[in-house]
Amino acid sequence: MKLIREPLLHFILLGAVIFAAFAFFSRNRTDKPGEIFVTEGTLENIINGFTRTWQRPPSQSELRGLVQDYIREEAAYREALSMGLDRDDTIVRRRLRQKLEFLLDDNASRTEPTDAELQSFLEKHAALFRSEPTFAFRQVYLNPQLRGTNLAQDEARLLADLQRAGPNADLSYAGDPFLLAQNFETTSLAEVRQTFGDQFARFLSTLSPGSWSGPVASGFGTHIVFVTQRNEGRLIAEQIPSSGFPRHSLHNIFSH
Amino acid sequence: MRGHKIAATSVVILGLLVALSFPAQAFAQEPPPPAQDLEKVFPKKPPYSPYANRHFPERVYWGDTHLHTSFSMDAGAFGCRLTPRDAYRFAKGYEITASSGQPARLSRPLDFLVVADHSDGFGFFPLLFNGDPKITADPQGRRWYEMLQNGQGAAVAIDIVTSFGKGAISKAILPVPGTVAYQGAWQEVIKSADEANDPGRFTAFIGYEWTSNTGGNNLHRNIIFRDDGSRARLIEPYTTQKPLGSDNPRDLWKWMSGYEEKTGGHVLAIAHNGNLSNGRMFPIIESFTGKPIDREYAETRALRERLYEVTQIKGDGEAHPFLSPNDEFANYERWDKGNLDLSEKKKPEMLEFEYARAALRNGLKQEQELGINPYKFGMIGSTDAHTGLAAIDEDNYWGKFTTSEPSPQRATHPLIKTENGTIMGWEETASGYAGVWATENTREALFDAMQRKEVYATTGPRMVVRFFGGWDFENRDASSRNPAVVGYTKGVPMGGDLSNAPTGKSPSFLVAALKDPIGANLDRIQVIKGWLDSKGETHEKIYDVVWGGDRKPDPKTGKLPPVGDTVDVPNATYTNTIGASELIKVWKDPEFDPAQRAFYYVRVLEIPTPRWTAYDAKYYGITMPPEVPMKGQERAYTSPIWYTPGK
Repeated sequence: MKLIREPLLHFILLGAVIFAAFAFFSRNRTDKPGEIFVTEGTLENIINGFTRTWQRPPSQSELRGLVQDYIREEAAYREALSMGLDRDDTIVRRRLRQKLEFLLDDNASRTEPTDAELQSFLEKHAALFRSEPTFAFRQVYLNPQLRGTNLAQDEARLLADLQRAGPNADLSYAGDPFLLAQNFETTSLAEVRQTFGDQFARFLSTLSPGSWSGPVASGFGTHIVFVTQRNEGRLIAEQIPSSGFPRHSLHNIFSH
Repeated sequence: MRGHKIAATSVVILGLLVALSFPAQAFAQEPPPPAQDLEKVFPKKPPYSPYANRHFPERVYWGDTHLHTSFSMDAGAFGCRLTPRDAYRFAKGYEITASSGQPARLSRPLDFLVVADHSDGFGFFPLLFNGDPKITADPQGRRWYEMLQNGQGAAVAIDIVTSFGKGAISKAILPVPGTVAYQGAWQEVIKSADEANDPGRFTAFIGYEWTSNTGGNNLHRNIIFRDDGSRARLIEPYTTQKPLGSDNPRDLWKWMSGYEEKTGGHVLAIAHNGNLSNGRMFPIIESFTGKPIDREYAETRALRERLYEVTQIKGDGEAHPFLSPNDEFANYERWDKGNLDLSEKKKPEMLEFEYARAALRNGLKQEQELGINPYKFGMIGSTDAHTGLAAIDEDNYWGKFTTSEPSPQRATHPLIKTENGTIMGWEETASGYAGVWATENTREALFDAMQRKEVYATTGPRMVVRFFGGWDFENRDASSRNPAVVGYTKGVPMGGDLSNAPTGKSPSFLVAALKDPIGANLDRIQVIKGWLDSKGETHEKIYDVVWGGDRKPDPKTGKLPPVGDTVDVPNATYTNTIGASELIKVWKDPEFDPAQRAFYYVRVLEIPTPRWTAYDAKYYGITMPPEVPMKGQERAYTSPIWYTPGK
């Protein structure tokens, strides 16, 4: 008979046997409403928990007590769930969130970013890894309150004078008295911004060394400026090295 | 050139001094070589570079010496969740999320910061909030933790703060020195500071606040370390609760000496809020003994407390109108209803021992009697914010507590309320910062500048203020292109001393101020003089030295007319059309008596600008009650220069 040799039939029959056996053996195991089963696994869990705390297995009477307690807890838990007590509860929500976050954090910290990921992060956030540009400069100040309506004229004359005098112009009597220095040695752009304000810093960052330029306004008045030296900020790492400090710090920033 | 002549003269003088100070018999050293040989070592001519041999401070560094984070029990209880790490990050200019959930950022980074959390109960709140097992194992800790988790944070906060005040916190969970919890918190503070410290760019000091507050009377001091964690880790902060700590400043000073002896490091202490001490901050009679202060007190205080925090969120402490009735600017951001917790009302006779100017005056008197001046302090401002945010610009004010971070209600909610009175939210003062003239931005340089008092206070704006005193300043020094060079060459900077007046000479002062580059113009510079007369009475007088605009003092009263007012309150704006961007002048004391002790300090006033309450009203579209001030004149106070008659 061909039918007897048909693998599909074998499959169906075998399947039926397995299902029947499973239904037979587990007929008492499925928790029906109103029934609580303490399985081997649960029992083992209870015993292990006790042993961890007390450094010995529970005695018979202790175990009975623990099981009783488990049953009570399970009953209360099911009852509470069926009444919907888990809903709109701050503590339950917070605990679930915490569990999920633990899970996610754990996963995130375990995955090592690939070189490609780090490289694209570096390119996207280059500013984070750039050292600041610095400037050395001289400046001459004109006080608008002293100069009044002649300010524009005085600015033009001062600029021309300074351009004639060149890089080593004697500034002892140039411009107006001013509390800030005329000569600034290597100063970061952030420090220039702090001292003179944003407009001045932006102007300075457009200048190349070697000529008197201006006028530029600050919060104090106007200035003629000579950049003696400028150092562009540079990227501390352009390529992702396979190991070492830049990679480590990049990894840290990336992970956060 | 003038500058060169001065420098040349001083080199010759230096040469002479060096030569004179080598009397062979006084030292067991070699006899001096002939003068012409010495001249080769000390050249007559100054170096070509005018910048060589010139290492005085050229830049003022801005910071806050007094900021609390969630590590302070009260800050944590009132909702602060930011840590010392967050606080340093914010001070460096990064945008962060405040505890109230709003994005916050400074207009400009600060140059330095001291996180100064209360040493009593240090680090308690982060442990509680995170449900640390040590806390939740204790019944009281468990109860608080569960209340927190149930959203009863406010009730917990009140319970904790009152229990702490009564000493009713369970011993098992109270972080006191010696416990693991306490040491953990201190290590974390040290680590945060050491990691944030970036020499040359940003200084993160290790520090804490010693919060002596018996009876609600504020005797608080901030402790600042010059050192890094390798030394600070060897000790634990000093607390006020017995038996480990004490509420008496004398015991704190002993602790400070103990630290220095044990580790070879250095610490300094800065007191604040005399206005909430009810007559105890600058005592003549010590509140702890009822006896007059003695020489030991004066000596130790002068050594340990070289600075005073004169302005902060809980009011301005320079001068009080009751003590200085002739000072039209004394009534500034006044907090004088009582002590810190308003458990005791203020009485007028307490004021003399609370305000900086009165203390500087009493110091002269004490010096006459004890031979040493206990109140010879320089002045700085700081925030005392309990938010982790050192943000006190009027247009960017982040409040005293997390509960007073920006909101439409913060101005009209009471901050403190007892049967003795109420302090409303709007009374908070958006103030102040510390300006430090240091040679570089490092812990060492800033600390040393603080110790020599070359510092000043502002109520927020970052104006540059120079103040030099000497005997030879001339009017034309004020028109020098680089006044600082003249100042350091011919005189002493703020915080310095003058003595031995040359016959017939009065002290002269070079005073200069430059407005905040993004702030308001200046109204005027004043010199405030205090002195002790031959009968042992102290006096004060205020001189308007230089001002913006072409105003003339009233010929009868001598009073300078007000600068004017451009504030548009509804729009919270002003214009720099009045005042001056820079003021500079040489001033000579017209009433100098070489036999009388005296001090001189500078007060710089800005033109009127909108107060934080005006910015709040504009942003939230609310109307403030009529009693709420909406504008003010921000200011700076320098450390004094003292004159002491020669012997």
